[in-house]
Amino acid sequence: MPAGRRQDALYWCGVLLVAGWGLVQLAPILWMISTSLKPLREVFALPIQWVPRPPQWANYPEAWNHFPFARYFANSFIVSASVTVLNVLLAGMAGYSLAKYRYFGQRALFIAVLSTLMLPIEVLMVPTFLIVKSLGWLNTYQGLVIPVVADAFGIFLMRQYLLSLPDSLVEAARIDGAGELGTYFRIVVPLSWPAVLTLAIFTWRETWDAFVWPFIIITDDSLRTVPIGLQRFQEQYVTTYNSVMAISTVAMIPMVLLFFFFQRAFIRGIALSGLKE
Amino acid sequence: MWLTRAGPPAVAGGSSARAERIGGGAPHRLPVPTVPRAARAARWLRSAEVRHQAWGYLFLAPMFLLLVVFKFIPMIQALYLSLTTYDLLSPPRFVGLRNYMTLLGDPLFHQSVGVTVYYVFGTCGFIWFLSLAMALIFNAPLPGKNLLRTIYFLPAIVPVVVYAVIWQFLFHPYGLLNVALHAVGLPAIHWLTDTRAVMPGFILAALWRFVPYFMIVYLAGLQNIPHEYYEAAAIDGAAGVQAFRYVTLPLLRPTILLVVVVSIILMSKVFTNVLIITGGGPDGATRVLSLFIYQTGFQFFKMGLASAASIFLLLGTMTFTLLQLRLFRDDARG
Repeated sequence: MPAGRRQDALYWCGVLLVAGWGLVQLAPILWMISTSLKPLREVFALPIQWVPRPPQWANYPEAWNHFPFARYFANSFIVSASVTVLNVLLAGMAGYSLAKYRYFGQRALFIAVLSTLMLPIEVLMVPTFLIVKSLGWLNTYQGLVIPVVADAFGIFLMRQYLLSLPDSLVEAARIDGAGELGTYFRIVVPLSWPAVLTLAIFTWRETWDAFVWPFIIITDDSLRTVPIGLQRFQEQYVTTYNSVMAISTVAMIPMVLLFFFFQRAFIRGIALSGLKE
Repeated sequence: MWLTRAGPPAVAGGSSARAERIGGGAPHRLPVPTVPRAARAARWLRSAEVRHQAWGYLFLAPMFLLLVVFKFIPMIQALYLSLTTYDLLSPPRFVGLRNYMTLLGDPLFHQSVGVTVYYVFGTCGFIWFLSLAMALIFNAPLPGKNLLRTIYFLPAIVPVVVYAVIWQFLFHPYGLLNVALHAVGLPAIHWLTDTRAVMPGFILAALWRFVPYFMIVYLAGLQNIPHEYYEAAAIDGAAGVQAFRYVTLPLLRPTILLVVVVSIILMSKVFTNVLIITGGGPDGATRVLSLFIYQTGFQFFKMGLASAASIFLLLGTMTFTLLQLRLFRDDARG
């Protein structure tokens, strides 16, 4: 059937177009990786050599050793893990409180919580800095962690999820004498696993990637996180493109791994982040 | 997504049971007026209703305290500081509305607002349509869809500093962008030094990163549309463009509104890539509001003036957030 064949041809043209544009989207990242493997004098050589021959692997250890990047990665890991654990724990409890309890002033408290969603750090950087300064938390781990834990997105996400969980389950656990904490940790948390995982991945990603806050409060090199370390490195070695690209490639790896291992939770977090930003 | 499916709070059963418990207690009190007050109070405290309420508050309290310390107090402090001059060394001095007056008369602030609006609407205008188009493509059957989707999505998961570093490199006079322009016979552009070219460059960079991001949001919305609707539309003879016009668009309306509002708010917070790539230059052509606040507060130590600028940024984002919450409420109801 000619009409069918024409439609088929159109379809495959579309597929080719999509794949082609995918390559364009990918080009900047490929260029970064290929530059990281070139000697400096060939960085801007034309025509572009996408696969450097031979690849100069030595760029990586060289760049890595210029700055204490192992320390930065450890810091990022400590901060992200702490923020994620604390935020999931506290936001989950708060969301549970708002979804499965009834008490005086609940509605007002929920609206108060919601209203903080419109106060990002970009807006509050001056007063938050002053508060953390007066607490003596500049250049400390608690300064990097605690203010970031104070984020209402998780409360909101957990509350929405728990609303869809039948009340009878919670009531049954209480009647069985599980106690309030037992009911939450042994019954509710396992049942809301998808939401917990989504929130954990989302929080981890946001914290690992956070730039503004650590940039403002950290001046001590031993407390810098990966984004700050990379920015400092880039500032200092701005024309040593191959080194900068090598470090950037390394900095990208944890995020890509996170994406591959937790693709569904990762994507769900992004699809829901609309409720946050 | 389960969020959109979440119904109204199912409280009827639980709360009426508790109401019975309270009601059952009331006649009890009359025959025993001689019980000492302390014992009565103790029993009241032991009652299930109070315990229930107390646990409710307890579960909420830790996070709520954090929000008070790191959101509500800073908010009030920002309002207060915006009425003072404060350089971190001497205590804040009250000056009334002078900071706001200074900002309204400051050409640099005007430029900053203009640059922010340019960036926000320059990116969002494209994002709204391109990400929807991309989502429609990925909602259709495609060979190697998962691989393709991962490739398209990669720019959105690159860490923000890496994103900035990559684009600074792309903007280099001999960088990939100019190589591509040369390949199609166009003259090279001075992306970082030409005041007219720098913002379009930033918009291009933002599209690379955020079109895939919002594609994910759209895709979630598209996958919520039941297949039966399209089958019914097909029976009525609507397919292709017509099905899009009469089935997809109306059902996607909440998602579209969400994307519109969220993208505006997200873009208006832009900071990191501008700081790294240009630091606000050339000639302030990329000094967006958050960068203006940062420089005023942390480089010139004018905390009062920076706070006043924050209030302006807040008013901007608040307008859109309120709009979004309103839309979301409507969505949950309908």
